[in-house]
Amino acid sequence: MFKYIIKRIAYSILILLGVSLIIYFLIRLMPVDFIQNKINAMNQGGATVSEETVEAMYKMYGLGDNSFMGILGGYFSWLSALARFDLGTSFVYGIPVARVIVEHMGVSFAVALIATIFEFMIAIPLGITAATHQYSLRDYIVTILVMIGISLPSFFFGQMLKDVLALKLGWFPASGLIDATASHTGIALLMDYLRHMFIPILTIVILSIGARMRMTRTNMLEVLGSDYIRTARAKGLKERVVINKHAFRNTLIPLVTSMAGLLPSLFSGAIITEQVFDLPGIGNIALDAMNRGDIPFIMGYNMFLALLSVLGVLLADLMYGIVDPRVKLE
Amino acid sequence: MEEKNNEQVVENKPVDTEAPLDKNVRLMSPTQMVVRRFFRSKLSIVGLIMVVGLFIFSFFGPMIYTQWGEIELDESGKTEYAVSTTTYTVNGVEYTIHQTTEKSLKDNFLSAPSKEHILGTDNEGYDVFVRLMYGGRISLTVSFIAVFLITILGVILGGVAGYFGGWIDNLIMRICDVLMCLPGVPILLIISTILDASDIDAKYRIYLLMIYLTFISWTGTARLVRGQILSLREQEYMVAAEAMGYSTARKIFKHLIPNVMPQLIVQMSLSLGSMILYEATLSYLNLGVKAPYAAWGTMINIISTNQDVLQNHWYVWVPAGICIVIAVLGFNFVGDGLRDALDPKARR
Repeated sequence: MFKYIIKRIAYSILILLGVSLIIYFLIRLMPVDFIQNKINAMNQGGATVSEETVEAMYKMYGLGDNSFMGILGGYFSWLSALARFDLGTSFVYGIPVARVIVEHMGVSFAVALIATIFEFMIAIPLGITAATHQYSLRDYIVTILVMIGISLPSFFFGQMLKDVLALKLGWFPASGLIDATASHTGIALLMDYLRHMFIPILTIVILSIGARMRMTRTNMLEVLGSDYIRTARAKGLKERVVINKHAFRNTLIPLVTSMAGLLPSLFSGAIITEQVFDLPGIGNIALDAMNRGDIPFIMGYNMFLALLSVLGVLLADLMYGIVDPRVKLE
Repeated sequence: MEEKNNEQVVENKPVDTEAPLDKNVRLMSPTQMVVRRFFRSKLSIVGLIMVVGLFIFSFFGPMIYTQWGEIELDESGKTEYAVSTTTYTVNGVEYTIHQTTEKSLKDNFLSAPSKEHILGTDNEGYDVFVRLMYGGRISLTVSFIAVFLITILGVILGGVAGYFGGWIDNLIMRICDVLMCLPGVPILLIISTILDASDIDAKYRIYLLMIYLTFISWTGTARLVRGQILSLREQEYMVAAEAMGYSTARKIFKHLIPNVMPQLIVQMSLSLGSMILYEATLSYLNLGVKAPYAAWGTMINIISTNQDVLQNHWYVWVPAGICIVIAVLGFNFVGDGLRDALDPKARR
């Protein structure tokens, strides 16, 4: 087990190296004068990107030297900075990229966490009823509804909810995270946060229920067809006990495994949803940074996402071995 | 999902005991059975109607409904009235002056649905209904090209990896692992910035983006094909093919790939839906198809900056969203129906 984990971690680092190579060369494809133009535009817009910051970035990424050795050298100097957890300084915010990420991660994490909890709480019971009543009217209705959920584009559905719930009915605030006119503290502040997060969370939950419910349904159907369920029924157990105790517990294996795979989505931020509701989460910040050509942030953010997904895969595999004793990790 | 009655492979007719056995039963080929099972499910028929309907609407619509073009402005003019109110207090008496200014504008923009414009005009003065059709052309074409390329790449790379194994397999699978860890939308944002910097014609940038998308999306198909081929390779009929001395290409393309086809077809129809969503999202973020050209996502883009359109002019953006939902839902229904129909273990 220990050996397996070490091996997997070493392997994950190799994957990250591959990802970093791709991201670095993509950034190098950007013409340098284009970057300079963006910086000039930023300076005209009132921001002050100091010469030093730009200079430091050029040095760090080895920009401006487009010979093969120059590009290679640039990659390694960027990589060695990365190894020291130095992601450079963001142009737009003027502080280290890592700090920008950490500061804005909280909002995204809160939204994603609450949404994920609701998603599981709604999707699992739905999946189980759909499976136990296979091919019934109930199964049809649930399946069609969640399929519509899967098919909705997040920007369209989010804007629609915003239009109806926030702008027309006025039940919830339309955008942002806090009410600027009121100064809340303590519990009131928390409630204000939650009020602002309500529609974004609702959007995410409705869009993501489908996949989870269908996964639960498929697993449940598979388990219900297995021999030990027939045995449980044959020895005269109540149907409720068969479903809740024997069948459901076994569908938990893939569910728990997929929970580890959720790690990236908890921290990475929902770019589109955050953009629609103007939440100051990491996804929205990243979108803004990319539109303004903030190269250090773009590279840092992408590496952060890649790290998260590598960790997600690793955790999911380890979890699989822990949850299911039949699986031997080697 | 399918109906409740049981599958009947053999249909009984009034038995004619004199005739040979095969006159009394109708034999069905596996393909016929799949088609029959597919059409027995109501959802897959609904899905098929949705998809075919959208295709006819987008590709034949502009030929029939020719009043307006994709980038043809309605220049019939529009008069806007602005009312301003000023209040003066003279000697304790309040006077209110309502002043109406009339402004003539060249383009007839944001006009409500009428006979002239079935779904009104958007904020520039383009006809929304016609742009829905042209937008559908782009969205559907782009998604089909992407899925087609993904499948070709996936089948070739997955097939090679599965058939040859060894270091080739290792190399291809490691590339898969790396590509699967690349963040999707953020990388597309980078590529889009590169395209911005290199002045690509607005018409073609979406194609370039989708080609990039195929380069990172073939991994799912490749894994599927590889997994199937790994298990098929061990079967007796492959040993027979080996003994017959068939060429490698013949073994792969004639004996292995046809057996992967069912899963591939399902995967293709489901990924068509997700490609449409991808394209729409890119266009919504103003990275894909850019104005004045139309795509469903581009048509919704306006509401991210213009609150007035969002609240008061639903006909500008809601129809495009509904089109996206119909397309994705249609492909999902068809994919699901195909999965059930192609599953040889399905009892219903």
